[in-house]
Amino acid sequence: MSDFEPVLTEHIHQKDCHTLSFYKSVGGYTALEKVLKMNPAEVTEEVKDSNLRGRGGAGFPAGIKWGFIPKDTDKPKYLINNADESEPGTFKDRLLMNKVPHQMLEGMIIAAYAIGCQTSFIYIRGEFYKEFKMLEMAVDEAYESNLLGQNILGSNYNLDVVIHRGAGAYICGEETGLIESLEGKRGWPRIKPPFPAIEGYLQSPTIVNNVETLSCIPHIITRGASWFKSIGPEKGPGPRLFCISGRVNNPGVFEEPMGIALKDLIFERAGGIPDGKKLKAVFPGGSSSAILTAEEALDVNMDFDELVEKKTMLGSAGVIVMDETVDMVQACLNIARFYAHESCGQCTPCREGTAWLVKMLTRLVNGGGTPKDIDMIFEITDNIGGLIDFSKGSFGKTICPFGEAVAWPVRSFVEKFKDEFLAYLPKEKIVV
Amino acid sequence: MPLLKIDDKEIQVESGTTILEIAIASGIEIPYYCYHPALEVVGSCRMCLVQVEGMPKLQVSCNTFVGEVHPDRKVNGKYDMVVHTQNELVVKERKNILEFLLLNHPLDCPVCDQAGECYLQDYSFKFGNAHSRFEEEKRVRPNEYLGSQIVINHNRCILCSRCVRFTQEISGTSELFVEARGYNSKIAALEDKPLDNLLAGNVADICPVGALLSTDYIHKNRIWNLEQKPSVCQDCSVGCNVDVFSQQDQIFRLTARENQDVNGYFMCDIGRYGFHRFEKIERIIHPMVRNGKSFNVLDWDEAIKKTADLIEKSKDKTAGIVSPFHTNESNYLLGLLMKETLGFLPPITGEEITFPTKFRISADRSPNLRGVNDICGDLVKDFTSIIKTRDIRGLYILDDGVDRKLDDSWKDILAKMDFVIVQSYAMTELAKSAHIVLPGLAPFEREGTITNDKGRIQWLRPSLATKGDSKPDWEILMLVRNALHKESEYFADLGEVIKKMGDQFPNYSGISLFKIGTQGMALT
Amino acid sequence: MNSNGTPKKKFIFTDSGRMEKILSQYPDKRSATLPLLHLAQTQKGFITGAIINAVAQHTETHPAEVMDCVSFYTMFFSRPQGTNKLQVCQTLSCSLNGADDFVDHITQKYGTKPGETTSDGKFTLLKVECLGSCGTAPVIQINNDYHEGLSINELDKLLDSIP
Repeated sequence: MSDFEPVLTEHIHQKDCHTLSFYKSVGGYTALEKVLKMNPAEVTEEVKDSNLRGRGGAGFPAGIKWGFIPKDTDKPKYLINNADESEPGTFKDRLLMNKVPHQMLEGMIIAAYAIGCQTSFIYIRGEFYKEFKMLEMAVDEAYESNLLGQNILGSNYNLDVVIHRGAGAYICGEETGLIESLEGKRGWPRIKPPFPAIEGYLQSPTIVNNVETLSCIPHIITRGASWFKSIGPEKGPGPRLFCISGRVNNPGVFEEPMGIALKDLIFERAGGIPDGKKLKAVFPGGSSSAILTAEEALDVNMDFDELVEKKTMLGSAGVIVMDETVDMVQACLNIARFYAHESCGQCTPCREGTAWLVKMLTRLVNGGGTPKDIDMIFEITDNIGGLIDFSKGSFGKTICPFGEAVAWPVRSFVEKFKDEFLAYLPKEKIVV
Repeated sequence: MPLLKIDDKEIQVESGTTILEIAIASGIEIPYYCYHPALEVVGSCRMCLVQVEGMPKLQVSCNTFVGEVHPDRKVNGKYDMVVHTQNELVVKERKNILEFLLLNHPLDCPVCDQAGECYLQDYSFKFGNAHSRFEEEKRVRPNEYLGSQIVINHNRCILCSRCVRFTQEISGTSELFVEARGYNSKIAALEDKPLDNLLAGNVADICPVGALLSTDYIHKNRIWNLEQKPSVCQDCSVGCNVDVFSQQDQIFRLTARENQDVNGYFMCDIGRYGFHRFEKIERIIHPMVRNGKSFNVLDWDEAIKKTADLIEKSKDKTAGIVSPFHTNESNYLLGLLMKETLGFLPPITGEEITFPTKFRISADRSPNLRGVNDICGDLVKDFTSIIKTRDIRGLYILDDGVDRKLDDSWKDILAKMDFVIVQSYAMTELAKSAHIVLPGLAPFEREGTITNDKGRIQWLRPSLATKGDSKPDWEILMLVRNALHKESEYFADLGEVIKKMGDQFPNYSGISLFKIGTQGMALT
Repeated sequence: MNSNGTPKKKFIFTDSGRMEKILSQYPDKRSATLPLLHLAQTQKGFITGAIINAVAQHTETHPAEVMDCVSFYTMFFSRPQGTNKLQVCQTLSCSLNGADDFVDHITQKYGTKPGETTSDGKFTLLKVECLGSCGTAPVIQINNDYHEGLSINELDKLLDSIP
């Protein structure tokens, strides 16, 4: 069992934990009261000081992102809560929305206040219908209690929240894809510059933050940036929700400090591998990260920078565990097929490359592969998403990080489990 | 002004321009597909990737802006940005992007209209691999009509989305959209709203490959057989600049020619396909004199003499009818020939249409009404009454070639005339009622200047050879005038006419064909 | 007009109150496209040409732009679907925990391959990508409801219990 006192998920097992009255009874919305007496710039400084890094996948420092909002514009500012959780292996935002929606909402209101936003949106993936209803109820409760709407808690701050359902597209989790979708178009990511903080939704300054990131905000305000920084490594601190799924006895969401050892997550929290099987490979940060072999996984901590050094990434902290019963080639094909299905089709390398990978892997799995196919996979992934060696820089050629998201995992499968791929090649016939 | 180093060239640029714009303006070749100067930048084809020093990823040059940087960050102490477009990395990446683009592209060059003017061919030749490493099944889809004039071959489409952006931004009609996503993406139009606006033909022009094809031109010829001549559209008073593609005696297509002061990058379908109406009309190619109900052919000397004699006989009672479909020089010489020029045949008008980016189709469907008003001054609207009051007995008409049904008032006028001389290229009803018919040139055979409705004088250039005995209209008028007034000038060529025109009309002074060039001149 | 000259039926939102509320929430009408399409699909079961025209009218856009959205997003269907959409997740964690067996089982039970609908219109089998509940794999979403971590037997019982 963990000896870490949960912060975000402290109350999720209590009855009616999702209601406003419960949330208030455990100190909810006191952070908001405090913030409304602060200067918005002070709020941003506090969040900056906490070193809170985004929990959606990109890991960009939230406070710094808020600071990009131009001060000298009279365009409206928008805050968008990215609840489009679609990264395979990730299911933590769902938990937060179902169990403690007000925590996220409070974080949203504080963030909106800090950037001067009057209309904010929650973009929730279309499949999360129950969660959508839950959020509707929470938002209604908030309006009724003067936590949203005009003159919040007697201040002169007004905020509206609009809940917007997506309709089934992973790419709408990418911030500019999300903005396009919110504008009523297809979710094609935009080229940058301009950046959303300057020109986002309706060409106005926009900040997009993840559900979990926003859920951290009330705690940073009430307990302070120093407290937050003291949890885990200082450069990427705080309580973090780690998701584990795949071949484990006890899959689920575990709140631990940043920097926990991956092996602890797998073997202690998640109860290890069923049937006594051996660990083979792990996705540390959702399916967009490069896989780690068992050996590598047993030796790494779940920290942004450390995982980058190991040539993978923390991403959305969606750990997928694969044991010796998992065929790496089939797993690779499964992931490639996911990306080919979700590719938005706007730019050439991703549109053509993902489908090429799927076709090639399918042919390989069906026994029609040739040795040069294995090399081709490296070539194709390089051409879509760039080299995995960050010291040489990332040479992704796509508009958005989707290119890297398909290239790194697929490439890592072939790199680290080449034998399994070679085993699918038809045997050379020996002519006597 | 920021200093850019691109390959081995140093260029001072305007802050805020993109690398691609600078490259195009300086003649440095960076390949691109989805970029078009008239359309929003999307950066989706990834073909224009270049290496910018200091940035880890390759950047799309269509969306990378050059600006002043802090002196501490200037490269080598002096460059605000250093760009490589030809180094090993960029060359390799271009090959790979091209490989992706060609993945599903069929080997259609022998049967594809775009061959010879295809960006994919050109860039593959210059920047691509000689072979593809793709060994899977290609994605194959049947062709579809997107509108009555445009067919799409989906297999050749590289999804640059230029056509979609065109219908959204330029024509404002939004018929085209991208359907589905990822590998299954394709360009589509709704069944009940096909691509049938008046700018539809432009999508076939802007398509960089042979995916969008004009049904009018499909499989008719090859670009290397065709001669390309610049000219000006004559189907309305906007005067869009065009390129006319012809082979021997036939025009095959028109495409828009860029002119930022007139039509931007595009032209409308009325002008684009209008050349077809000249293919089947009954031409007049010899001078002829009426003989009862039919005509006898004359040679030019006889014809000129007969014409001059007719006019001589009723000197002060002859009037000229000018034409806003003819060049300034032709109308000018008619003015010199006749004491008075009264007006012109009933105007051809249509709907005035303006598109979102200010591209316009004028309600006035003649190309040179402004020129006619400038050069011939004093034109009266109701000349039927003038004809009565001044007792006009003879008319010299520059026929615009539009086969109108003559209404009763016109029939009356013609019946009362002692003579009617019609200078025309087509056997219109008017020409049929003439006493003498002189063969002028058809619109695509003419040369001269025309003035659009914004006061821009442009050079109309011939694309087809003259037929039979036809002569340029201005020349015929000059010869008749020479026969009538022995001391009148003989103009050796158009240039001399223009000069004389300029002497007489101050706002046309100082003009020459050389000065007008391919982009025209604004009249003062 | 339809091709036989009859006027095309117009689509009217039965829940006009909700439709108006949706339109008023956004600073720009076009943003209401997705929510209006969801509302229309709930009403009609799938997206028809009339719905596209109606949504285009309300959001002040062109029908082609609405169709663009409909074809991009997987939750919008241009053709009628069965009353109960059986959406089985096929991405990694679910696949590692028996989701592929779900698909085979349903195919065997009702004779529908993925993408097909039973002849009585009751079930449509669809393979979908990650539903965001990997911890309770395998996941099947029936219309709006998630059913998580079922065994084959439990799945059977669930399907049999649907009226």
